[in-house]
Amino acid sequence: MKINRRNFFKVMGATAVSGSSLAALPSDLTAWESKAPPDPYGCLVDLTRCVGCRKCEEACSQVNGLPAPERANCQCTIFEKKRRPDDKAFTVVNRYFTGKLDNFDKPLPTYAKVQCMHCQDPACVSACIVGALTKDETGSVRYDVSKCIGCRYCMVACPFEIPAYEYHDPITPRVMKCTFCYDRISKDGGVPGCATICPTEAITFGKRADLLRVAHKRLDENPGKYINHVYGEKEAGGTSWLYISSVPFEDVNLPALPDNPSPKLSETIQHSLFSYLWSPIVLFSTLGALMYKSNKSNPENSNGKRGTLEEKNITKGGA
Amino acid sequence: MIKKIVYFTALMLVTALMPMHLSIHKASAAWTAPDQEDAKKRAKEVVPFIKEYKDEHKTARKISLMDAGVSINDVKDVYFLLDSPIIKEREDHYEPVRFAHKRHAALTKDCSKCHHLRPKDEKELETTRCSACHQDSFNSEHPERIGLKAAYHQQCIECHRTEAKGPVDCKGCHLQNVPDHKNLVKLPDNADVFQVTAECLRCHDAQANDMLTTAHWLWRGPSPYTTGHRKDIMHGKGTTALNNY
Repeated sequence: MKINRRNFFKVMGATAVSGSSLAALPSDLTAWESKAPPDPYGCLVDLTRCVGCRKCEEACSQVNGLPAPERANCQCTIFEKKRRPDDKAFTVVNRYFTGKLDNFDKPLPTYAKVQCMHCQDPACVSACIVGALTKDETGSVRYDVSKCIGCRYCMVACPFEIPAYEYHDPITPRVMKCTFCYDRISKDGGVPGCATICPTEAITFGKRADLLRVAHKRLDENPGKYINHVYGEKEAGGTSWLYISSVPFEDVNLPALPDNPSPKLSETIQHSLFSYLWSPIVLFSTLGALMYKSNKSNPENSNGKRGTLEEKNITKGGA
Repeated sequence: MIKKIVYFTALMLVTALMPMHLSIHKASAAWTAPDQEDAKKRAKEVVPFIKEYKDEHKTARKISLMDAGVSINDVKDVYFLLDSPIIKEREDHYEPVRFAHKRHAALTKDCSKCHHLRPKDEKELETTRCSACHQDSFNSEHPERIGLKAAYHQQCIECHRTEAKGPVDCKGCHLQNVPDHKNLVKLPDNADVFQVTAECLRCHDAQANDMLTTAHWLWRGPSPYTTGHRKDIMHGKGTTALNNY
């Protein structure tokens, strides 16, 4: 298509129309809404209370039918390496020396438990293309193995890098992560395994709203003891698991995250692009219009070419 | 011949003494330490839950305890068994801890360290027991109140840390509910040391690997007390020392 003055204005006009619809549509159709449950359960982890006994690991593996934790009764050499939750352990405790000293100038360890944070608006649920992951009313992010196709988008999406995959199992691999003991907490009076066994109540189980109140009360009543921040209150749009600590959260490997829910940006982009399928309609109608125009502007050329091709085919077929 | 006579006499003596011995054994089985029975009985009691407490500052609490004239002479029980059914309701992995109440009272000389608050009701005891205020964990009506198990652990560990005295690890206070090894261990009579080690390793592989990374195994250095090797400097479990099987 030759660009002459007339065609140039036509193309510009089409672009302007599609552009204006792009600008007009998102505002009313795709205001992102949180799908967080209204009154979920949660756990408050108080790192100043954790003594690193690793009983939570033991309880977790028993409740969830996982293999016994690595060196279950060890409270010393196991901490020499930093561990992550994997397909055989939904939760692990790590030890950090952050430069804090006790009354006798000995380095004071801080123990931090890692597990799925059960985000209010989970990135994994948003990324899952088959709906195998769902956020339950209880606050638990649940996994349905019968729907999972093994794409592992959840593992890429998770801001806390929690979901693990059973790579060793070629036939029926599963995505493995903390279940928030859904089978237990969905019953009356049910408490997750780790919170049940914790000897110092470093893990407090309850309604998330109550726990936030308790956490802020603890921060207010012990000035100087804690970092004045409840990790998980706003991180990644809020998580069901909350942490309070006397050392900076980065020092115990809890990543600094924006307050926006992780799926907000991606879902906004995707929803604004595909609502009412307007973007494919615009794209293909523009392409169609261009093809139509280009065909129309050079009728003798395209017709002539097509004719010769057909003739060639016929002659080939005949030979 | 003399040998036979000695054997025979010994045998007669043993048979004669047997019933007596048995009866002693029976009596000793029936006998129980009265203070232990009291401690066991006391541990099983569950007292009514105290909902409201008097909000006092630490120092005020200490003074009010002194004003009330509470002292070590008021401590009746020498020890408690921390074996409340409240703790065992959810899980039971360890033997109960024997808490030497009188000893702790004598050492700290400060009742307010543990009796840190008192019930609001003036009729209640000044020094009420832990399980009156601390019972179930995660009580949604009192979300700030910790459970009995956590109260014990936090109180003990925190104080042992700050005083740098007393155990802070699990097994310092608890006996684990260890299965009876009598039937688990299978060894021939007169087993040698290697057989014993091999038998232990049959189940305790992880512990063995753990040990190999500790100083008990890796230690290398002079052995000033080993005869004939006083001047050697490369000795240790991992090198030439004895018992390195």
